[in-house]
Amino acid sequence: MFQIFDGAMGTMLQQAGLQPGQCPEIMNVEKPEVITNIHAQYIAHGATIIETNTFGANSIKLAHYGLSDKVSLINTAAVKAAKAAAGISVKIAGSVGPTGKFITPLGELIFDEAYEVFFEQIKALDAAGVDMILIETIIDIQEMRAALLAAKTATTKPVICQLSFGSDGRTVTGTDPETAAIILEAMGADVIGANCSLGPAQLLPIVKQLAKSCSCPISVQPNAGMPELINGKTVFPMSPSEMAVWVPKLIEAGATYIGGCCGTTPEHISAVKSAVLSCALPVRQSPKEALALTSRSKTVYISPTLPTVIIGERINPTGRKQLAADIKAGQFLSVKKEALEQVRAGAKVLDVNMGVPGIDQAAAMKQAIQELSMLVDVPLAIDTSDTEALEAGLKAYPGRALINSVSAEPERLESFLPLAKKYGAAILCLPISPAGVPKSAVERVEVIKIILDAAALVGLRKNDFLLDALVMTVAADEQAAQQTLATLKLYREHFGYPSTMGLSNISFGLPNRQLMNGVFCAMSLATGLDAPILNPFDKTMQETLSAGAALLGHDKNGQLYSSKYAASLSPIQTAPVVINDDDILAFIRQAVVNGEKEAVIPLVQRALEKGFSSVDITEQALTAAMNDVGQAFGSGRCFLPQVLLSAETMRSAFTTIKEILPSQSIISNGTVILATVKGDIHDLGKNIVAALLENNGFTVIDLGKDVDTDDIIDAAKNNKADIVGLCALMTTTMPQIDIAIKALKDNGCAAKTIVGGAVLTADYAQQAGADAYATDGVAAVNLAKDLMKQ
Amino acid sequence: MMPLFNAQLLSIDINETRRYAGLSKAKDFSLKLLEDACLEAQLLGQAKGTWQLYDYDNITGTVLSDKPLALNGEKIKAYLKEASKLAVLAVTIGEELEKAITEHFSKGNYSYALLLDAAGTTAVEMAADQISKAIGQQANSIGYTTLTRFSPGYGDWDITAQPDVLALAKGIEAGINVTTSCMLIPRKSVTAVIGFVAGNKDINLITKEKCSYCNQLNCVSRKGEINVSDI
Repeated sequence: MFQIFDGAMGTMLQQAGLQPGQCPEIMNVEKPEVITNIHAQYIAHGATIIETNTFGANSIKLAHYGLSDKVSLINTAAVKAAKAAAGISVKIAGSVGPTGKFITPLGELIFDEAYEVFFEQIKALDAAGVDMILIETIIDIQEMRAALLAAKTATTKPVICQLSFGSDGRTVTGTDPETAAIILEAMGADVIGANCSLGPAQLLPIVKQLAKSCSCPISVQPNAGMPELINGKTVFPMSPSEMAVWVPKLIEAGATYIGGCCGTTPEHISAVKSAVLSCALPVRQSPKEALALTSRSKTVYISPTLPTVIIGERINPTGRKQLAADIKAGQFLSVKKEALEQVRAGAKVLDVNMGVPGIDQAAAMKQAIQELSMLVDVPLAIDTSDTEALEAGLKAYPGRALINSVSAEPERLESFLPLAKKYGAAILCLPISPAGVPKSAVERVEVIKIILDAAALVGLRKNDFLLDALVMTVAADEQAAQQTLATLKLYREHFGYPSTMGLSNISFGLPNRQLMNGVFCAMSLATGLDAPILNPFDKTMQETLSAGAALLGHDKNGQLYSSKYAASLSPIQTAPVVINDDDILAFIRQAVVNGEKEAVIPLVQRALEKGFSSVDITEQALTAAMNDVGQAFGSGRCFLPQVLLSAETMRSAFTTIKEILPSQSIISNGTVILATVKGDIHDLGKNIVAALLENNGFTVIDLGKDVDTDDIIDAAKNNKADIVGLCALMTTTMPQIDIAIKALKDNGCAAKTIVGGAVLTADYAQQAGADAYATDGVAAVNLAKDLMKQ
Repeated sequence: MMPLFNAQLLSIDINETRRYAGLSKAKDFSLKLLEDACLEAQLLGQAKGTWQLYDYDNITGTVLSDKPLALNGEKIKAYLKEASKLAVLAVTIGEELEKAITEHFSKGNYSYALLLDAAGTTAVEMAADQISKAIGQQANSIGYTTLTRFSPGYGDWDITAQPDVLALAKGIEAGINVTTSCMLIPRKSVTAVIGFVAGNKDINLITKEKCSYCNQLNCVSRKGEINVSDI
């Protein structure tokens, strides 16, 4: 069954006399006959669903017109005006548009406030008698979640959720159609779709993606093409007949609710209707048979037929004092670091546990989820036994989370399952009953059945479950591993849902736990483990998983396995070098050129042991190396970060010499005062120059940034400076170079001056009276050496 | 109007970081160091920004704000010659990363500090990209196409415009300030204008790289070979 929406309301209102700057929705109250007439036109042209003139009738938008207290009045009037046109066969959709604000942490609107704003409007629409709610033109999934939650609470009528996507196929805040469809279907949307922003051509691939990612009917309301501004007015160029051409394609892609957005008129709807009449209902592809978890911008599938998914376990303060202390203090940097590093190590889902005794767990969970949702795009598992913390996390998460975990204990079933349904989360089912932990696999299956039955009662569906096989320690029960493996097998036979477990418990109390864990992981993978919860930094586990993927047929020809192995070989292992003592200085020189700051230390120690003096090492190895590097830099064969690595290596070598021979002083090549001039706060470039000069034997006195000219003069005089280096990064601070040079001369300072910085040129340096102009740090060193010879 | 937008830093583009660090042509530089720098920038970056829309008089080159602002610079005016509106934006990634760069440098990790600085530049540009996308969608919905970002200091648009541009963007709401010498604080911050031109025209300038407006010919991060006199 197809449904035809109406077209644009705004342009019709303008034609009917709406003035720029006037609130479009107040016309529901002041001129309801105009609204009824517009609806009647769309109905006459074939619309089967008309949309109330309430797109901006929420208290935030109405506040722009001083009408925020008129939400109920305006929405009620809108429905009345629609009803006057609708008759009995046409349905009325209550239109709900965005607030125009971003929800925290993207913006400043609190989720609960957004929820209340939507609830107020939807409640009014419902009470006034709409047939369904149409949440439309939303650009952020979190705002859509707030609106959908409000709708599900305010009304029992169907809810249509339509997002606006950009030409890159994502909403402004990064959600793709697949992810959106999964989140919204799980939260109970009745129809999912897209409207506005794009024309039918651009919306076609989005409709396809939506349709293949969920089972809900799909709606689409394109603009009449991409807009153009003609004579100062926005014009949507697509004619009704051009738009009709796209209708069969949109239907074939999966849409059954079709209408128009900006620029579409009753004639467009008439053309759409005619086109629809000649189309058959689309044949929909079933969504993937898998558990889908999502972040705001990415979907991860877990299924027995797909590659193993690692659930990273590290964001858990249990037994980790520092992490616990940070969470308690409200410092989430270490939590964020754990998240980023686990993702880098291959975790595809992150478990988040805030179980620190004595803290407000709900507040901590909310903060953690908000911070992580801005930082990583892998889905999150909310790991808690605290109902308030669970709800805080689920509410804050702009995706479909996994709840870790739901056991068969009555309080868990009663409090956690409804939250899973409400927020569209998946659940990790843990076979623990009020009687405790079932020992045998058969008993575990029985407990899982209790959880699944209770979940079905609240409306959870087949792809909402991840089953935990439960791992007990083999040191306490020699049958522990066998029972876990048998449980995995029975889960597969009885339910077919994907499975998970925390592996490392198996080896508790035993030596060489890594070996035990790795072997158990391999056995579990073979038996049916799909998403282990583990430490992604565990090398043995990673290697086992990598080999396991190849053996389970998820890595063609073992290519990934091979490339991971190759990447794990460090260059030092592949090329053992035999160092000849006679060539030790050459090796030091090469280490500096290569920037091997750790490797240079034993080389310098050995050279000193063999009787080379610090002068030999400095001149024949270190300085020679920096000259090599300088030349390579000058000729474009090496680049600044590499030069700096060499400088670090040189520093490391000097430090080693000083440690072994503290009494030996290294002769200075000269004293250099460095400063970023007054008013300029950039100092990275100047710091680089300082580092390079120091490593080339100069004594550097770095005055920092934003330095007064008087301080430069004092430092130059007091230290009997040979050279003063000045830098400025901006045109606004460049004149300070002139001032400083003049002041140095006026005060009789004999030091030579070198200047540099992004905006400086050789010409400028010359007119400012500088002795030299350096384009970069290496040039500065060479110039300093030249100036010292003069 | 969007008062404040916190951008997501879901990744830091390693290739852009490589370019900003002047490593575009370095074949064998440590990938791990670059990855570590990107990860730390992601960890410490607090990306946020603001933007405001204004009408623009392209004949006189004036932003029609409450207190109209005349733009000084032939290149900025040429860039905006077909624009009738513009967005003024301000974006920052905050001060934490800056502190970390200083700390790494003082510990003698010179190269890593430089890479972290480059990753910070990538981060602020990526945050600006996200805001530009939101502005682009806003522009499209009212019949305009957006041009690429153009910042004070590009081409001949004098950096002294910085305080006015920051004020137009209401950048202070994102915690961005400007010194008397027109530098933004935090240092890893950007202000820019984005021109809105009517319809979906194929505007020549849209495809030009930002580097093409910049006079820093020796910049290690410069993209391609561009002759500034052609602009």
